[in-house]
Amino acid sequence: MNTVEDGTQGDVLAGEEVAHGATPSTHARLTAYVRRGGVIVPILTAIIAFVVGGLVVLVTGHNPFSTYRAIFNGTGLNWLFPWVGGAARKTAAFDLQQTLIATTPLILVGLAVAFAFRAGLFNIGGQGQYTVGGIVAVWIGSSFAGMPAVPHIALAVVGAGAAGAAWAGIAGALKATVGANEVISTIMLNWIAIWGGVYLFGLGGPLQDPHQPSVPVSSTVKASAKLPVFWGNAQLQGLHIGLFIALAGVVLFWILLNRTRLGYEVRAVGLNPDAASYAGISPARNYFRVMAICGMFAGVAAAMDILGWKFNLFTNDIQASQVGFLGIAVALLGRNTAVGTIAAALLFGALQTGTSDRFLDPSVFDPNLASNLTLMIQGLIVLLVSTDVIALRVLRSGRGVAVALGRRGKRQEPRA
Amino acid sequence: MADSKRPALELRGITKKFGSVVANDRVDFDVYPGEVHALLGENGAGKSTLVSVLYGLYTPTEGEIVVDGRPVTIDSPATAIGLGIGMVHQHFMLVPVMTVAENIVLGQEPSRGGGVIDMRAARARVRELSERYGLAVDPDATIEDVTVGAQQRVEILRALYRGARILVLDEPTAVLTAQEVQELIEVLHRLKRDGTGIVFISHKLGEVLQVADRITVLRHGRKIDTVPRQGATEQSLARLVVGRDVLLSVEKGPPHAAEPMLVVDDLHVRDDRDLEAVRGASLSVRGGEIVAIAGVDGNGQQELVEAITGLRAPTAGRVLVDGRDITGRGVRAATEAGVAHIAEDRHRRGLVLAFTLAENLALREYRRPEFSRGGWLRIGHMRSRAKRLLREYDVRGGGADAYAASLSGGNQQKVAIAREIASDPKLLVAHQPTRGLDVGAIEFVHRRLIEERDRGRAVLLVSLEYEEVRSLADRILVIYEGRIVGEFAPDASEEELGIAMTGAGAGARS
Amino acid sequence: MSVGTLTATPSRLAAPRQLGIAGLVLAIVAWVITLPPALVRSPAPSIVVAVVAIAAGSAALAGRQRRLGYGAIALALLAVAGAVADTRAGVGHLKVVFTWSVLVAAMLRYATPLLFAALGGIISERSGVINIGLEGMMLIGAFFGIWGADVLHSWVLGCLVAIASGGLLALVHAIFSIHLRADQVVSGTAVNFLALGITGYFFIAHYGPNGTPSRVSQVPNVKLPLIQHVGFFGGAIGNTNLLTWIALLLVPGLSLFLFRTRWGLRLRAVGEKPRAADTVGLPVLRTRYVAVVASGMLAALGGAYLSVAFVGSFNQDMTEGRGFIALAAVIFGKWRPAGALAATLLFGFSSALADRLPTFSQTAATLFQALPYLLTLIAVAGIIGRSRAPASVGIPYVKE
Repeated sequence: MNTVEDGTQGDVLAGEEVAHGATPSTHARLTAYVRRGGVIVPILTAIIAFVVGGLVVLVTGHNPFSTYRAIFNGTGLNWLFPWVGGAARKTAAFDLQQTLIATTPLILVGLAVAFAFRAGLFNIGGQGQYTVGGIVAVWIGSSFAGMPAVPHIALAVVGAGAAGAAWAGIAGALKATVGANEVISTIMLNWIAIWGGVYLFGLGGPLQDPHQPSVPVSSTVKASAKLPVFWGNAQLQGLHIGLFIALAGVVLFWILLNRTRLGYEVRAVGLNPDAASYAGISPARNYFRVMAICGMFAGVAAAMDILGWKFNLFTNDIQASQVGFLGIAVALLGRNTAVGTIAAALLFGALQTGTSDRFLDPSVFDPNLASNLTLMIQGLIVLLVSTDVIALRVLRSGRGVAVALGRRGKRQEPRA
Repeated sequence: MADSKRPALELRGITKKFGSVVANDRVDFDVYPGEVHALLGENGAGKSTLVSVLYGLYTPTEGEIVVDGRPVTIDSPATAIGLGIGMVHQHFMLVPVMTVAENIVLGQEPSRGGGVIDMRAARARVRELSERYGLAVDPDATIEDVTVGAQQRVEILRALYRGARILVLDEPTAVLTAQEVQELIEVLHRLKRDGTGIVFISHKLGEVLQVADRITVLRHGRKIDTVPRQGATEQSLARLVVGRDVLLSVEKGPPHAAEPMLVVDDLHVRDDRDLEAVRGASLSVRGGEIVAIAGVDGNGQQELVEAITGLRAPTAGRVLVDGRDITGRGVRAATEAGVAHIAEDRHRRGLVLAFTLAENLALREYRRPEFSRGGWLRIGHMRSRAKRLLREYDVRGGGADAYAASLSGGNQQKVAIAREIASDPKLLVAHQPTRGLDVGAIEFVHRRLIEERDRGRAVLLVSLEYEEVRSLADRILVIYEGRIVGEFAPDASEEELGIAMTGAGAGARS
Repeated sequence: MSVGTLTATPSRLAAPRQLGIAGLVLAIVAWVITLPPALVRSPAPSIVVAVVAIAAGSAALAGRQRRLGYGAIALALLAVAGAVADTRAGVGHLKVVFTWSVLVAAMLRYATPLLFAALGGIISERSGVINIGLEGMMLIGAFFGIWGADVLHSWVLGCLVAIASGGLLALVHAIFSIHLRADQVVSGTAVNFLALGITGYFFIAHYGPNGTPSRVSQVPNVKLPLIQHVGFFGGAIGNTNLLTWIALLLVPGLSLFLFRTRWGLRLRAVGEKPRAADTVGLPVLRTRYVAVVASGMLAALGGAYLSVAFVGSFNQDMTEGRGFIALAAVIFGKWRPAGALAATLLFGFSSALADRLPTFSQTAATLFQALPYLLTLIAVAGIIGRSRAPASVGIPYVKE
């Protein structure tokens, strides 16, 4: 009787593939932690990250509480509190619109990373896919004058999605054919996309705005391609319908994963590629499909930004943008799930708005400092999520996890 | 013979618990210099745990270890090595890309200064030890290019290089040919003469009787008895090991063989390293019979199974299932042709632990219209079928929505088998179907395979367990170096099979 | 375990491998002859040489040397394109862009930070830990290097501070990857974010809108006394930075360490098969910790080179992805120091070329910036795609 093995089974967390010599994929591990710790764990992780961020703020001589309060005030989330009224409410409304504008692309790039994780892949290439999507969106949006709104927007969005899908598909195809590690290839594709964009819209570049020859910027998106605003004033950049497109994306994500054959295959490959190939599912073919879908999400994210509020693309923008990388934090914090992605995207969207120089009172805290603070918090969240151990230990369900972690990797049949 | 002075090593009252699980329960064990003391028991009896304690990989919950009369604490392999304890593991602990000499001296490399390794001295020492104990190796060969038997010699040399006076061999013969086993026994004799104490772990009764001076039997973590070799028989040992009289074969009627369901014709398959693993194998399996493929691990069984089930494309030859050519057409084609595959390692190939049982049970057939249509999954159907199967196979531990990870090993294997058989296959390929299972689960699997045979399915069994092959097969095919080299009836002797497994009489027997 | 023997394909001519390499070399020759000093002005000779290269590549393909074969053919085609472009460009332009001594000097300058980081990456990966965080460690070294040089008025101390900061950041990565067994890629990515945030934060907090002061103590160049004035060599290496020399010397040093010494053997064993190392009593986790921290220190020194030796100041996200190029160089170079040197020199060369192109064409210069990444992509996909990483890289080690 395999006493030790039987003893292990009960403690192995559902979702931990304790395969011979193989370590669980990131997602398999996250699934396990979700089953153990529920939704509290990511919240706790975020709190810990904020606390550490606060310590950094303290070390440089600022008050973390007032800093965080100032950031919070800029997010507009206080609009949700019914007791806030009058002028403060109007400001909060505006702030909240901006937060949601920032949240929209984050949801989509979060999905772009989460979907990949579910398949056992790491899509660091969100930034490049976003960039390529943005290039196509701005090009379509600024061309085709005279096209009615609906087809124009649709064309731009579809084009952006397709471009992102193709860009990601390169990495997927490379992985599927020659087994090239998708981390390296997507990182390289990121930079190629960025420099490609700088070339296209730079001075003398082929897609530079002919009406502004001394500015490295693209042509401006035509009015027919702009996303309609449904809350707030269009002139003052209210909230556009892109939010609904993002939410639709979330629904699509969930349906794809849980109700389709494709999703079944993707999840199988992500949780146990050997079992999947044994069942006739080709991991290679799935890698390509998965990356393409991820790229599509990222490309559409860019379309939301371009058609929703940017309306053109500066080379500076291309080089400075971090949206794709934020997507990694969003996906991980959200545990690669549909609902989690929305919540995490909202958090980071709020942080982004709250720390931007339009909304943060510089006398309280320098916005440049604040954006770097966000980066640090982001890094901490990703770091902590990669193990979740700390948060779980805090919850004191650590005991079960510690036992399981201690068992993981042990020879499967301890030939006792 | 055994030096009757003080034992070189004593384990007194060793208890090892993992949480509430007791792997070793107050076990006493000792080894005298110059003797071979065998440790015998089934899978799960506590043998590996005991020697892991000895080698410093675990700390005992209770009990003490005494070396040369002094109590010691062994907290790491380094300490064990320092005390003269050397271990030859069942799964070799060698670095594949490094040479024999590098592996042997790793951690105690000779150096003439500045940390630069003196490879000449290393090679010389290796040769010296090699000659002394009759362990032939080439110091400059890379481990991954060398045979399994040679790798084991390297493991032994590694222990001897570090001055081991007590050598622990964990299931050393599992991967050896009959001739290599004899060579190993020779080596053990030489070591005994030199005064080395040897712990020989095995679950193979015949070998233990050949080699050991004393035999200790463990069962369920407890020491049952220690007996001298004189007077012990396979039957008496088996009784100690299992605790009851063991039925060494399963009841089964004669086969009702029908048409050939599987025809393999001159198959050539390359392995992961692009070496030919199957070199022209031909066989056939009829409906209603069990054909077993026996052989030493590493002679191409894995690649043969993969070629038949579609996981690997052969470079030449054909695989026909019920007349349909599925050669190299992939798993889906094989599944559609009626091939079911009970995989070698249920966690790697059989189940997705994070999937529910319903999802797992659909794993091979999810493309069929009952389970998915036009890209959409029909979850209700999956669940109801799962419920039916779980009932039929008496799977304990969870319902259709339970995660596979929460089941015990035996029940997981039941799920895997249920899935395969439920697809109503023409050919059932079972590759090591009972590895790691307890006796009850093994009995279930064996009975089921015979039931399926009686229902007219063709069953191809690939197993490394001689007893399993003997009791289940209607015909036994021996595979050696990628070819089928002999066909035997199930009552063939171990000797006949052994000779075939080493290449048709190539090795001389004493 | 070998059941079969490698079926050797008989080749009628020379060994296919040699042919493949010959094809690569000929392809390079085909391009180079249109450049100064040879300055062949007709594409015909290049085409002829390229055709021979393609033939050699095809022969290599037939001999089952797929990578070398395809590589030679692809390179030959590119060489023809390059040769045609060169013969169409003006001789003057070519001479300005391809001033070899200046190019070599620039190549060394660009390669230095990459080399430090790549050598660090090799140490880490050889011990079995992926280090995606090289970028972040470089960046943190860049900031704290110049901060240290500024505050402590000495480039030596600045470099030491940089090394310390890189080591500390690497320690974070190490703890999460090794001890807490996090996914190493995720942990490395997190480290990059952290570094970006930390350096940006303290840069602004400390230096505000004015940036780092000018005239911070800089790592000096080494002026080779005699060679300095001798034509090509003088221009190329006569005035090279001290850190560059250190990096170059580290290459044979690390090679010796890895492949000839005890600790190198043990490090490699830990990276290939940690369980084997454990059973002979080697401290697997401790070895990995040391390796990762060392890699952080080296990467940080590379970053310090950027700020303290090369540019003389710091700006946010100064490293701009160099850490990832260094990682690519590790893979290119098959985890060997000499290979990494070759790779970093190649990348350095392309960056140097990109620098000189604006005199020729602004937009081409921008595109050239993408070249290292493109080359890496091709490398990871094609020629070097299947090289063998240390077997246990990326897999956390669990002691029983």
